[in-house]
Amino acid sequence: MGKTGKRSIHRRAFVKGIGGVAMVAAVAGFPAIVRARNTGPIRIGVSAIMSGRVAQMGSSSTNGAIMRVDAFNTSGGLNGRMIELIIRDSKGRPDEAARINRDFINRDDCDMILSLEASTGAFAVQEVVRELGTLCMHCLSETSSLTADPKLRTPNAFRSGRQGAHDAISAGSYAASIAKEKSLKKWMTVGPNYAYGHDTTEQFLNYLNHFSPDIELGSQLWPKIFQPDYTDVINKILQEKPDAVFTCLWGGDLSSFIEQGNLYGLFDQAQYFCIALADYTTMAAVKHLPSGIHSGNRYVSTFPGSAPNAAWEAEYVRQFNSRPTNWSWEAALGMQFLIEGIRKTGSSDGNEIAGVLPGMIVNSPFGVDGTITMRAEDQTIVEYGTGWGVTQSTEPFMPNVTPTDWKLIYELEAAWKKEQGYI
Amino acid sequence: MQINTFTRYSVVALLVFVVLAAIPRITDDISILDTGIMICANGLFALSLNLLVGRTGLLSFGHGGFYAAGAYSFGLLMQTGMFSIPAAFALTIVFVAALSALVALVCVRLNETYFTFITLAFQMLFYNIILSWTSLTGGDQGLLGGIPKPVFLGIDLVNPVHLYLFCCGIFLVCVVLLYQITQSPFGYTLRMIRDNTERARFLGVAVNRYKVASFTLAGAFAGIGGMFMALFVSGAYPSFGYWTMSGDGIFMIMLGGMNTFLGPLVGAIILIVLNDLTTIYTDHYGLVLGCVILVFVLGLRRGLLDFIVEGIRDRRASKMDQTIQPTVPKEEIPR
Repeated sequence: MGKTGKRSIHRRAFVKGIGGVAMVAAVAGFPAIVRARNTGPIRIGVSAIMSGRVAQMGSSSTNGAIMRVDAFNTSGGLNGRMIELIIRDSKGRPDEAARINRDFINRDDCDMILSLEASTGAFAVQEVVRELGTLCMHCLSETSSLTADPKLRTPNAFRSGRQGAHDAISAGSYAASIAKEKSLKKWMTVGPNYAYGHDTTEQFLNYLNHFSPDIELGSQLWPKIFQPDYTDVINKILQEKPDAVFTCLWGGDLSSFIEQGNLYGLFDQAQYFCIALADYTTMAAVKHLPSGIHSGNRYVSTFPGSAPNAAWEAEYVRQFNSRPTNWSWEAALGMQFLIEGIRKTGSSDGNEIAGVLPGMIVNSPFGVDGTITMRAEDQTIVEYGTGWGVTQSTEPFMPNVTPTDWKLIYELEAAWKKEQGYI
Repeated sequence: MQINTFTRYSVVALLVFVVLAAIPRITDDISILDTGIMICANGLFALSLNLLVGRTGLLSFGHGGFYAAGAYSFGLLMQTGMFSIPAAFALTIVFVAALSALVALVCVRLNETYFTFITLAFQMLFYNIILSWTSLTGGDQGLLGGIPKPVFLGIDLVNPVHLYLFCCGIFLVCVVLLYQITQSPFGYTLRMIRDNTERARFLGVAVNRYKVASFTLAGAFAGIGGMFMALFVSGAYPSFGYWTMSGDGIFMIMLGGMNTFLGPLVGAIILIVLNDLTTIYTDHYGLVLGCVILVFVLGLRRGLLDFIVEGIRDRRASKMDQTIQPTVPKEEIPR
C-alpha cells in the first residue's frame, strides 16, 4: 500500500506472493508421501470416467468397488490395515488415464490399480502397468484382445469383466436357436459407428452364420455414437422389412432408438436382438419398454436367479439409491479378487497377489453356479452368468434368462483364438 | 568480443538444462518428472501453435493433427523394430514436416475464418483416417502393444529419469530453435504479415511462401511434442488428433499469453497443474477451467505472462517518466 493510499503491489510483496502460491501448489500438487509397504492403509488407485456422456460408467462401477471395500474395512481389514480407494476422473481420455495411473503409482504410492476404464483407456493403463510392474485389475473393458492376445497380455494385469468374444458366442447361439424356431431368414444389423460396433456386429454375424448358415443379411446400418435422431435408421428398417434385427447400440443411444422406434411400431414388425438392453438403467430409461425384445444379460437381479444376487442388488440400492449396472458387478468382482488376494497372501504386495490370482475361484452372486474363476491361461474371468432372455414392459423387465453353456463358449473361443493366432 | 544471439540462447538453455537435470537428484518423486515430461509435450505443442497464432496471425484449429501424426508415425516406426529411437525421431520429423507442408499449400490460400475452418477440416480428416484405418492405427483403441524403447547411446527411455532428461534436452533445443526463428528476419517478416498482410505483399514479400514455411515449422515442432507424449504413454490414441487437442493449445496460449515468447509454455504449465490439482480434488474439471478462463479473460484481459511482462514494462516506463522531468511546465504541454 502506498503512502497516498492508492493500491499498488511492491515487487518484494509480489515475489513473496508468487512464492507462497508456488509453495501451496507444490505441497498440494506433489505430495510425496513415503511409507513402508506393509504399514498404513492399503492404497488402491481407481481411474474411471466420472464426467461427460458416460459418467454413469464411472459412478456405477465405483459404487460396486466401494461396496466391497466397505465390507472389507468393516470386517477389520488386513490386521487392521484398511483399504483406501483413490478415485480420479480420466475424462475418457487415454492419455489422461495413463497420466493418472502413473501418478497413482509414482506419487500416491498405490499398491495396486483398479482400472474402471472403457477399452481405449484400459489399453493405455495396460501399457503403464506393463512398464511399471504394478498389479492391475481391469474391470470394464470387454475387448477380448486385452487378455486374449499374448502380445498385449502382461503377468501383472487381470480382467474381471465380461468379454466380447464370450458375448458374441452367447448371442450367436441364442439368436440362431430363435431363428430356427421362428424361421427368421432375413436379418439386418444396427451398430454404433466405431470399433466396438463393427467388431461386435462382425463377431455376432460370424457365430450366427456358424449356428444357422442359411440366413440372409440385408443392410448394415451404422449410426454415429451419441446420435440423437434415428429416423433414417428406422425408415430403412421399415422399408426393408427384415425378419430380425441385431443391434449392439448401448446406453442412451439404445434407449433413444427404442423410444423413437416405438412411435413407428417398429418392434411389432420384426424380432429384435439387443446385446446390451438388459441393464436396469437402460431399460428404466425407456418410457414404454416393448415386450418381446431379446437381450443379452448385462445386469439383472433375476439372473443368476439366486438369493445372493438379489441380496447384492438390494444392498446396492439401499446404499446408493439407484440400480446397479453391468459395470457395477464387474467392478465389485474385480475388487473382490484383489481383496481375496490380499487375504490369501496376508500382504498388499502386488507381486505376491499377482502370484495367487491365476486360477483363483471366488464365491460370487454373478457366477453361473455361484463361483467365478480367474482363468490362469489368459488372466480373465470365466463361468460368470451370461445368457439371453426376452423383455417385458414391467418389472422385473427380464424375468427369465437362458444361460449359455460355458462348454460351448470354451470350444468356440479356442477356435477363435487359433484363428487370430493367439494360441 | 561479441557473442551471437544463438550462442547466448544456447548457453541459457544449457543452464536451464543443468537446473532441470538436478531435479531427479534432489527428489525421488517420479511424478514430478512425469509432470515435467507432460509440460515438455504440451509446452512444445503450444509454443509451436503460437508460431502460427501469435507470430503469423494464422488461427489454426488443426494443429492437433500434426501432434497426432508425430505420435502415430513415431510409434509405428518403433513397432516395426527396424529403427533406433534417433532414426525414428528424425524420420518422424521429416514425415510430419512434409505432411504440414502439403496441408499448408492448400490452407494458406484462404484467409482468417476460412483458414481456421479448413485447418479444422484437415484435422477431422486425419482423425477419421486414424479411426478407420484400424489395421494400421488400431482404430479407436489406439496403437496397441506399447512402443519399444531400445537403449541407444546408453540412454534407456524405459527409465523415467532418462526419459525425463531426454524430453527436457530435446525440448530446450526446440525452444532455442523456435526463439531463434522468431527473432530472425524470417520471424520479423512473419510479424509483418500478421500485422498487415497487404503491406507485406506490397513490399515484395512472398506472403504465401512465408505462411507455408511457418506452418511447416509449426507442424514439425508439434510432431516432436506428439513423440514426447507417445513415449510417455507408450502408445498413441485418436484423442491426440481430435479437435479438442487444438482447443487445448488455444487455451494454453490464452492462459499464458501470445505476445511473450514463453507465454504459451506458461499456459501449458497452468493447464497441466490445474488439471492435476482438480483431478485430485474434484470431478468438475470443466467448471474449474471455465472459471479460470473467465478470470483471465475478464480480469487480466490477456495471458498471465503477457500481464506480468507488460505490467513490469509499464512500471519501468512510468518510473522513467518520473525520473525525466519534462522541460516544459505540465500545463503547457500541448494536448
